Amino acid sequence: MEAETRKSDCGVVGSPVVHRGFMMVALFLFWYVLSGRSDAKFLVYGAVTAVVTTMVTYPLLLVPNQSQTRRYFVFGVSPLKGLRYFLWLMYQLVLANIDVLLAVTDQELAIDPKVLKFRFTADNPVASVVLANSITLTPGTVTMDVTSDGIYTIHALTPGAAEGVRSGNFPAHVAWLFDEEDDFLLIDDGSDMEVKEERE
Amino acid sequence: MIFGISPEDIRVAVAGVLLISGLVFLVGSAIGMLRLPDFYCRIHASGNSETLGSMLSFLGMMVYEGATLTSVKIAFVFLLVFLANPIGSHILSKSAYKSGHPVWTLKAKDADQAIGAPPKGHSADEPVGNLDQPEEEN
Repeated sequence: MEAETRKSDCGVVGSPVVHRGFMMVALFLFWYVLSGRSDAKFLVYGAVTAVVTTMVTYPLLLVPNQSQTRRYFVFGVSPLKGLRYFLWLMYQLVLANIDVLLAVTDQELAIDPKVLKFRFTADNPVASVVLANSITLTPGTVTMDVTSDGIYTIHALTPGAAEGVRSGNFPAHVAWLFDEEDDFLLIDDGSDMEVKEERE
Repeated sequence: MIFGISPEDIRVAVAGVLLISGLVFLVGSAIGMLRLPDFYCRIHASGNSETLGSMLSFLGMMVYEGATLTSVKIAFVFLLVFLANPIGSHILSKSAYKSGHPVWTLKAKDADQAIGAPPKGHSADEPVGNLDQPEEEN
């Protein structure tokens, strides 16, 4: 048991004790919110459940990086940074949603669908999940494909959404959130079709 | 009580305003679903444009409910929608992209009209652009 624990702790980024403590507190609060009862019996049940759930699921929440050298805790971002990122994402979401609503209800249907490609590599696999999910969550952009070497294929509905992808705002914020290096590189800005047309 | 308006009335009014503005975005999403030309564009309408609509609706419900545990539960539902919604959109668009479904662009629409095809409206039952023909026809 001892050796097994040591083996699974090897290469984990951050402190497993802090991770487990964070998970237990979060699960216990979740239990309390869902049950809504503060009798000693329910609180004890909740605490025991939180501890057991943490012990069972913690090893499953460690995801290895591509080279299998390190393992990252899925909820391992700093809560303050996470909150700031969430608020920024909400702000982007409101702006983009208004943009899409205006485009869709426009008389002439002011859309210009494009397929863009960019590269963003991160050691932490959770960073690419958060990036792809944030881009898809923002109206006007959908992540169509992510490859293991970090090529993102994005479908952008409106010119404003395409501009947002080109500016590399999302990768920059995700890199900040996960303390990664921002190596955003635009591979295809979706304008090759217009070039082809000019040649004709 | 100021001018016969109690804090209760204000809360209900704020909740109503939030719910109605959520409705505006949800209706916009439905309009987009009907008007947009192809599969990828409609994913934007069905999956994404409703995020702000549902966000405002959930906020409205939370304001109506007040500071209770039910509000917190509504917030959890809202977080679940936020995590699950992009995953569904992504899987749909990924499978369409991998299976080679053509992407509608403005250029495809212009080419279609240039060869003398009757101008087609952006209606749901009528595909717009040369969806059935390969992209590199010229």
